[in-house]
Amino acid sequence: MLKPLFNSDKKEKILLYLYTHGESYAREIARAFKCNLNSVQNQLMNLEKGGVLYSKLKGKVRLFGFNPRYPFKKELEALFEKVLSFIPDEEIEKFYKPRLRPRHTGKPL
Amino acid sequence: MKIKGISIKDLGIYISDYLRKNGIETVLSGGACVTIYTNNKYISYDLDFVLPVYVNRKEIRGVLEKIEFYEDGRYFKHKDTQYFIDFLSPPLSVGEEPVKVISSIRKGNMVLKLLSPTDCVKDRLAAYYHWNDKPSLDQAILVCKDNKVDLKEIERWSINEDMSINFKMLKKMLE
Repeated sequence: MLKPLFNSDKKEKILLYLYTHGESYAREIARAFKCNLNSVQNQLMNLEKGGVLYSKLKGKVRLFGFNPRYPFKKELEALFEKVLSFIPDEEIEKFYKPRLRPRHTGKPL
Repeated sequence: MKIKGISIKDLGIYISDYLRKNGIETVLSGGACVTIYTNNKYISYDLDFVLPVYVNRKEIRGVLEKIEFYEDGRYFKHKDTQYFIDFLSPPLSVGEEPVKVISSIRKGNMVLKLLSPTDCVKDRLAAYYHWNDKPSLDQAILVCKDNKVDLKEIERWSINEDMSINFKMLKKMLE
């Protein structure tokens, strides 16, 4: 939906994924969209360089999220909220509705 | 210019002036401003230069390589100093607001543009608020104690950023 603006369908998906999940890492995003890990990593790094995202190490995993100090964060979030309202329910369920509550160790899915 | 043994302030002045003479405008922000405004009571090793307009990384690399700085990941380093340089993308902002007033420090005919003490405090408070980083609050207090800062302006900005609790905390610690 924002491809004409971002020049990349993948970048839009990554940003929407982070917006709905709060934080995530390259492998999880690549797995979710079945796309190339390197290209997701490159997009994440570029967005971090541009100040849109932050990253932090948790154990061996580099987590990314929206930089709360990015001056256009609120406006960007409003844009993503609107974009989400145009996305079919099926796709929302599949990609953009994370389970946030904890899950017991060993509990079957 | 001799880099060995140089202070972070003098390095900031030199780099900023050198870049400007090569057509690249910058404004110093982050911890280096705290070091400068507190006369080394807080020590930072990185010079965070904000680029008010987009500049191609290749252009910056080319200019800095002429004075023997080399690229190491996202930073630029020099064999003769422990300080390193980082460039932050535009816009120049503190929290959600653009920076309107820029301070400058002169040394001879060289000029360093940097955040004002008031914006430096806002910058540190934003880090404290968003990352819950207590050292950033301590740095904000140090800058307030050693400089003339506009507390009314910081209060207005804090309310606008939904950070009024942080401002109250700052004010209490300054009493």
